[in-house]
Amino acid sequence: MAVLSGILIDGLSYGMILFMVSVGLSVTMGLMRVINLAHGGFALLGGATAHWLTTNTDLGYYFSVILAVLATMIFAIAMEKIFYRKIYKFTELQQVLATIGITFLMIASVNFLLGSTILPIRSPEFFSSSVDLGFRTLPVHRIVVIIAGMAIALGLYILLDKTRFGIQLRAAVDNRNMASSLGINTARVYALSFALGAGLAAFGGILGAELLPIDAYYPLRYMVLFLVVVAVGGLGSIAGSFFAAIGLGIIDTAARYIVPEYGTIFFFIAMILVLLLRPQGLLGKK
Amino acid sequence: MKKTIKLMAGVGAISVMMASAAFADHTVKVGVIAPFSGPFAIWGKQFKEAVEVYVAQNGETAGGHTVEFIYKDSGGPNPSGTKSLAQELIIGEKVDYLGGLVFTPNALSVASLIDEAQIPTVIFNAATSSIVLQSEYFVRTSFSLWQVSVPMAEWAWEQGIKTVVISVTDYGPGNDAQVAFTTAFEALGGEVLDAIGMPLSTTDFAPFMQRIKDQSPDAVFAFLPAGPPTFAFVKSYNENGMKDAGITFLGTGETDETTLEALGDAAIGLTTAYHYSAAHVSDLNQAFTSKLDEMFPGSVANLASVGAYDGAHILYQMIAAVGSDRTKAVDVVRGYEWESPRGPVSLDPDTRHITQNVYIRRVAKDENGNLINEEFQTIEAVPDLGLL
Amino acid sequence: MQETQIKPAENLAQTAAPARSRKFLIKLLIDLALIGVGIAAYFIFPDNLGFITRILIMIILVLSLDLVLGYAGVATLGHAALFGAGAYGAGLFAVYFSADPLLGLLVGAIVGAIIAFISGLFLMRAHGLTLLMLTIAVAQILQEIINKERAITGGSDGLLGIDMDPIFGIYAFDFFGKTGYLYALTVLVIVFFALKILVASPFGAMAKGIHESAPRMRAIGTPVYWRLVGIYTISGFIAGIAGAVSAQVTELVSLEAFGFALSAEAMVMLILGGLGRLYGAIIGTVIFMVVHHTAASIDPFNWLFVIGTMVLIVVYFVPEGFMGLPVKLRRWLRWQK
Repeated sequence: MAVLSGILIDGLSYGMILFMVSVGLSVTMGLMRVINLAHGGFALLGGATAHWLTTNTDLGYYFSVILAVLATMIFAIAMEKIFYRKIYKFTELQQVLATIGITFLMIASVNFLLGSTILPIRSPEFFSSSVDLGFRTLPVHRIVVIIAGMAIALGLYILLDKTRFGIQLRAAVDNRNMASSLGINTARVYALSFALGAGLAAFGGILGAELLPIDAYYPLRYMVLFLVVVAVGGLGSIAGSFFAAIGLGIIDTAARYIVPEYGTIFFFIAMILVLLLRPQGLLGKK
Repeated sequence: MKKTIKLMAGVGAISVMMASAAFADHTVKVGVIAPFSGPFAIWGKQFKEAVEVYVAQNGETAGGHTVEFIYKDSGGPNPSGTKSLAQELIIGEKVDYLGGLVFTPNALSVASLIDEAQIPTVIFNAATSSIVLQSEYFVRTSFSLWQVSVPMAEWAWEQGIKTVVISVTDYGPGNDAQVAFTTAFEALGGEVLDAIGMPLSTTDFAPFMQRIKDQSPDAVFAFLPAGPPTFAFVKSYNENGMKDAGITFLGTGETDETTLEALGDAAIGLTTAYHYSAAHVSDLNQAFTSKLDEMFPGSVANLASVGAYDGAHILYQMIAAVGSDRTKAVDVVRGYEWESPRGPVSLDPDTRHITQNVYIRRVAKDENGNLINEEFQTIEAVPDLGLL
Repeated sequence: MQETQIKPAENLAQTAAPARSRKFLIKLLIDLALIGVGIAAYFIFPDNLGFITRILIMIILVLSLDLVLGYAGVATLGHAALFGAGAYGAGLFAVYFSADPLLGLLVGAIVGAIIAFISGLFLMRAHGLTLLMLTIAVAQILQEIINKERAITGGSDGLLGIDMDPIFGIYAFDFFGKTGYLYALTVLVIVFFALKILVASPFGAMAKGIHESAPRMRAIGTPVYWRLVGIYTISGFIAGIAGAVSAQVTELVSLEAFGFALSAEAMVMLILGGLGRLYGAIIGTVIFMVVHHTAASIDPFNWLFVIGTMVLIVVYFVPEGFMGLPVKLRRWLRWQK
């Protein structure tokens, strides 16, 4: 019983971290259909900026995080104008190559400027304290991540399904020519969506840093992890990513509780089984 | 038999090569192979800085020979790349000595090569005990997991710790640490309640913390590769109320100076057994760390630094004694004793591995508010217990 | 689409025989020149044979990737699974059974093919991102198994104790890497010509056909799934050869043989060179590795800037890869006139 509740609680909180770090990719790759291997790069830039701000200025954690996310989004808009506009039209493999190239440059830049050690983000003291749930304790930052993850999931649901912007985005992705002939400014919709994806990447990178610490190599180290979540969830579905992240988090955690010696194998076998049964992912469209 | 033929062919080729090179100039070249890029780039950076500090302090010549260091990037664990870099250094750059080597497979990949080419090779890190047995040309200035884990077990027993859960990353060094600790701890009468092998790619350690807690041991002994895993593990330990549950943290390199700052104040009080702390109190270490800070502002010394610093020292000793007539170089330093920034050390005449003090330390704040590993107990002159 | 698909048959039927033989002759000369370059490198770069041997091995791997990705259009990010299988197959065989290099080479190739066949049975049903992820998973699982079986494989320390016999009992592997180089070169030449024959055969035309339109191939009666499994198995055989040569020349194998980084690098090299062209695999690999090596020698810390920039320049200005460069240049020259 204790084991079961442990698996559920730790799995849920780990799953929420997986969701946070990959939701940005779910937007750029899932919705916009760009094989954006530079997703982790944007997370790295957000995390590195937050690191720099929290360790070198007196702005405080919250303000630093907001500033870092905004800075990443502005940078993303510039990147979109310079690089991604063309990337949209590339073949899938060319997209792989282009976004890998961008990732390399991001890694090299952070490494050059800040070195290759872990770049800690100074969070408020109480983040590292723990809350007693009666039968066990849970670190506060996990609770923060769970709440933030829920909020992001809900916010994205409203933004994409209930607002004009969401409708425009889906229209633009489905048929760009049709959308622009209907008067939708598709270039703007794409730029904003891309900035949204990058902003989420940055935010996820910062919040997830308690478990997946930021360092220059971050984008490549966790690339497979991000891709797994989006692939299992299904392209084009934020909800899919959400459930995939939670599910994978619980499975991975269960494996660590019960058979730690085969931890990674279980994770990947779970993924293989899901993808064999549902090649389009949990909630992906065929 | 086969090996000998190869060896003889190698010796012949090399002596021809040497005859032409030895008298050309007095520069002796040393090739340093280490990761300078990728996830482990910090190692190469620490190596290079420490070597440069040594050179700045001791001059560019050893016994009249100018010493030139050539750095090559191996990336991560990459035996085929490392071996070809070593070939290039030996054949192309005509180096007489090699140094560096962070990962066990990389070190192992050059063993047959340095045997045939008779290149003394100073391992600055790669810590699996058995590496030095693969070639008589290996000298090692780092440590081995046995060397630090056994003193940790003995110290823990002295503190009245009777039960331990071992939690190590499931790979070679982790396995070494587990076996070493278990052997020493059980010999004393202690009980290892559980040994958890954590997957190498683990990012979330909370489940392991829960499992450890459920068995309520007196302490947890951990070993993980430096970098993100160590960081996340120690964070989990702190945040899951392990300390409040009365479970002492016993570690080795988890509080490495390059990750210590990232761990923050929560790390205060963590106990580890290790061979080097940047806060080791001695004039030599003071000179080393302040010179490092002067030449590379913001850099901190860690195990990689001291391994490379002492490695450079050993290389200088060999070069001063024999120059590029390197076949006898290793014999020169067998049993050699010297003062290192980590304290008094010597090279074991048989294993060519460094014999050194192991210190029990705990994380504390120094007068400037920086986190340090404060040494408070010394176990003197520990050899590599894994080779006994 | 339709034209390209029928072309091979058309060519055979309609092109006049003399023109065809002239074309064949030119191609043969190019190939001979390439082999000449390989032999010349042996004399020109005696100091770097170890590095050039690694290039040769990588070319074999990238060629095997080209067969599935370039010709059959199967996107995989797990080709290291097959390379690693070959490397550990040959390595374990050398440690526990026989140190004969050619026997080991065969074992490595067969192990690569077996792993490819078994994994291909479910991989070849998938497409796109799903396929990419499944191929990654296969490599990761194999890596974990090898790590687990530490007693036999050496785990993360690497598989120690590979000590190869001389080839044919005569040519011992020397520390200059001469034997290793000529060995790898010979294997590469054989693999290259075998692949050349394969892709020019009806089997190769069929692979391209599947790439261009699987439904049409199905409609004309090709069992697409089984053909893909077949192609993947052949690719595994060749990737296994690459792994085996690597294990034998290095005399050590480590877990990184299964690494995601290796799969990704191989893919980058292939796209850089140009997909679906055997020469593209060669050129992409050579340029990538030489640029990396040179940049890393100059600045071991910051060479990634150079690689990143190179990748971006190619993908933006020569999207077809280096193989598209001559056409681009010709067009540019014509425009200048």
